[in-house]
Amino acid sequence: MSVIEVRDLRRVFRTTVGVIRRKTKEIVAVDGISFDIEEGGLFGLLGPNGAGKTTTVKMLTTLLIPTSGTARILDHDVVKEAAAIRPHIGFIFGGERGLYWRLSAIDNLRYFANLYMVDPGVTRQRIPYLLELVGLADRGDEKVEGYSRGMKQRLHIARALLHDPQVLFLDEPTMGLDPVGARELRGVIRDLLAERKTILLTTHYMFEADELCQRVAVINRGKIVALDTPDGLKQHVQDLSVVELEVIGITGDRVEQLRRLPFVDTVSVEPYEQKQKLSIHSNSGSTSVPQILNILEGLRVDKVTSREPTLEDAYVRLVGGEV
Amino acid sequence: MASKRLRSYLRTIGQVFVLQFKQLAIDGFIIFIVLVQPLLIAIMGLWMMRERQGNYAIFIVVGSGMTGLWSSLLYITGSNINVERWLGTLEMLVGTPTPLAVTVIGKTLSNVVMSLSSMILGYVLAALIFRFPLTLAHPLLFVVSLICSVAAFATFGLVIAPFFAINRQLQGWVNALEFPMYILAGFMFPIALLPGWTTPISYALAPYWAARALHATSSGNVPLSDVFLSWGMMLLFSVIYLLLSGWLFRVMVHKARVDATLSLQ
Repeated sequence: MSVIEVRDLRRVFRTTVGVIRRKTKEIVAVDGISFDIEEGGLFGLLGPNGAGKTTTVKMLTTLLIPTSGTARILDHDVVKEAAAIRPHIGFIFGGERGLYWRLSAIDNLRYFANLYMVDPGVTRQRIPYLLELVGLADRGDEKVEGYSRGMKQRLHIARALLHDPQVLFLDEPTMGLDPVGARELRGVIRDLLAERKTILLTTHYMFEADELCQRVAVINRGKIVALDTPDGLKQHVQDLSVVELEVIGITGDRVEQLRRLPFVDTVSVEPYEQKQKLSIHSNSGSTSVPQILNILEGLRVDKVTSREPTLEDAYVRLVGGEV
Repeated sequence: MASKRLRSYLRTIGQVFVLQFKQLAIDGFIIFIVLVQPLLIAIMGLWMMRERQGNYAIFIVVGSGMTGLWSSLLYITGSNINVERWLGTLEMLVGTPTPLAVTVIGKTLSNVVMSLSSMILGYVLAALIFRFPLTLAHPLLFVVSLICSVAAFATFGLVIAPFFAINRQLQGWVNALEFPMYILAGFMFPIALLPGWTTPISYALAPYWAARALHATSSGNVPLSDVFLSWGMMLLFSVIYLLLSGWLFRVMVHKARVDATLSLQ
């Protein structure tokens, strides 16, 4: 049985622009997406900023009403039966907000435990357990205002697990965590999967999706552009190889020249320390390097490597080079 | 199941009450509208009445306390939901199985109880500085009236809270809404001094019946049947406001889910 069923889900936001001649502008955040998540499954939703990931999570967590389409959680409709869904789901949104900063972590958790109608006896045992789980056991009685971003994020995770929900929505849960904290959190997610929790995870980190998710949907401009297992998605770029170069001072013109090369599929540029990291997807492997270097003539090129495609490369290809 | 739910709601109300009280007690603006503003109104009233004969002082003390009660209720209730929105906790609250109205009940009760301190301060001020004889005509009935007033004000706060949540611009109108209630509910002078057409409006406001009961039991100038009538009206309005607010909260939360206004965009 599918724990989460999404059919043709669509959400349009209307905003007004202008002061005197006000015009209504429509933004399609989610455009007719469909997917299912089975019990105990971990489903990843990948996409660039503004792709519609958070809007999807908000509709599934009953906080936003879809413009059209349906979504069912544990066989309950997210619009008509929101009250039946809420006791069984937990959610976290990336970022520091959503906590009472003037209260301690323990007071925050005690408050939300009440709101989730957790029995006081259970709460007394569960709060120390969760604080231990997220590594805040020795800071639980401190006010949240003194917490780092990562600590607040970990407190959010403890809050989402207070009522031991069957279904979890994790919207970029490792955002703001240091590498060690992020690795520990991935360990927690694996433990939750072992407990047969059903999880929907959105993330920017491809290796995270590759490591954790059983199935991944790539979402771009509100539409699902691919839905497969991480290995299945990598098949999309099986014909490609990736050449990576570290350069200094590359201009838009040169990137355009690279894109126009006949064997090049996509080119993405990312800032990397004081340099730029160029990732060029092509179907000609390392044999393309001389032609690439020709275009980059006069620029300082520090490092050139060629490698096999990863899930990230599949993602870049699917969303058209936007990272 | 229903009793478990009720116990959980009561626990939440109690917890929110304490947390809100702690936060209000250290908020400078709240201290101003609960303590300083009614004090200024009381000083003005007592100064104007100092040459008069009769038991006016207790009327002014009770009335100025009620102005503090109304001002704080209006301001804090109006800002409660917006503060949650700014903190990013409104989504968290709506996403739990406990209705949003339950947490707002806890907050509103806390606001009302906090605001009662205005009345105590006014009482002490009048007694100490102006040396007015401040005796309550019916102390026990006054306490019962006070309890009914807490219920009436708190439930009235529950009715106005969803409007502030639906329309964020309404927050800017708080000051404009302050004085009409002072006048229409007869906090500082009897509504008999107002034009006849305003009387039905006063009758539909629970704070009017609260003011009537508190003034009557403190000054003792009216028959007890009048006090009982005020209690009855307060309880009746409290029930009506409670039912109305339940519906308004459902409408407000639904509209916020449609308009995507549970969080800041």
